[in-house]
Amino acid sequence: MENLTIDETKYTPNIVLDAQKGLIEIKGKSYPENTFEFYKPMIDWVEEYFKGHELPKTIINFEIIYFNSSSSKLFFDFFDLIEEMSNEGKYIEINWIYDKDNDSALEAGEDFKEDFEKLNFVLSEK
Amino acid sequence: MDITKLEDFLDNSGIVFLSYGGMLTQDLISNMTEALEKETEKNNVSISASTNIFTIFVELSQNMMNYSKSKSDKNEEFDPKGLVLVGYNKENESYYVLSRNIVDIVDERKLSPKLNNINKMTRDEVKQQYRQLRRSGLDKHNKGAGIGFLEISKRCDNIEFKFTPINENKYQFMFQANISNKKKGE
Repeated sequence: MENLTIDETKYTPNIVLDAQKGLIEIKGKSYPENTFEFYKPMIDWVEEYFKGHELPKTIINFEIIYFNSSSSKLFFDFFDLIEEMSNEGKYIEINWIYDKDNDSALEAGEDFKEDFEKLNFVLSEK
Repeated sequence: MDITKLEDFLDNSGIVFLSYGGMLTQDLISNMTEALEKETEKNNVSISASTNIFTIFVELSQNMMNYSKSKSDKNEEFDPKGLVLVGYNKENESYYVLSRNIVDIVDERKLSPKLNNINKMTRDEVKQQYRQLRRSGLDKHNKGAGIGFLEISKRCDNIEFKFTPINENKYQFMFQANISNKKKGE
């Protein structure tokens, strides 16, 4: 399966989707003008990846400095998809990486962790 | 025009950042946010407070951008002139993000109860409703999840807003979020 990289812009994160490493990485700011359109290639890739291209262990690194509310909704739907995959027996680990001085990023991570109790969701201080 | 008068006014009101004019675009918003990042860094604003300032600034600006776009898409008569500013209030040592734009009476009818409701909620209630709406997608519309004002409310100490009638169909909508530069628990 082909890997996909989307470069960082002033308002969208750097996205690395690496099937050989079993790695999904999202890093930066997220306030696209049209959030759903922006993340569609990533969601499509993830859906394809879990259709038999996945490694025994998949790591998701999430390091978002700040985001708008439509990104927040999109991340929720993304974790929902991941939870579905995890319920199907895929082994997935999520690292929510935040700066130790960024209370809001920590709080956002805590909320997602609580919303997806079944996921292996780790809050990781940078 | 006497520009020093404007400068004096901005200095005295603690305004660190101001944008006033026509239609907002995504490019303009991200350039302003970048300038704001430099401004908060220069003024040693804590990471928490500055993250909240950026989030609220982006949320309000994108709101105005989407609102004027939806109007021009429908070819409705609309004045896109909006105001968004970030200031510092020396008395209570807090930052504020303020926006002002013109909205239709139908939107005032929708927004006003929503904001009044937010103002009555405790911090925990805001958080709960935010998460519940994010999960259910009940307030979802074509541009977002309908949780923008809850997102703002979660990230500031308090909000203020005012609708002032311009004529029988239009209101001037003023919104302000106050963000203290203290860390939680201080």
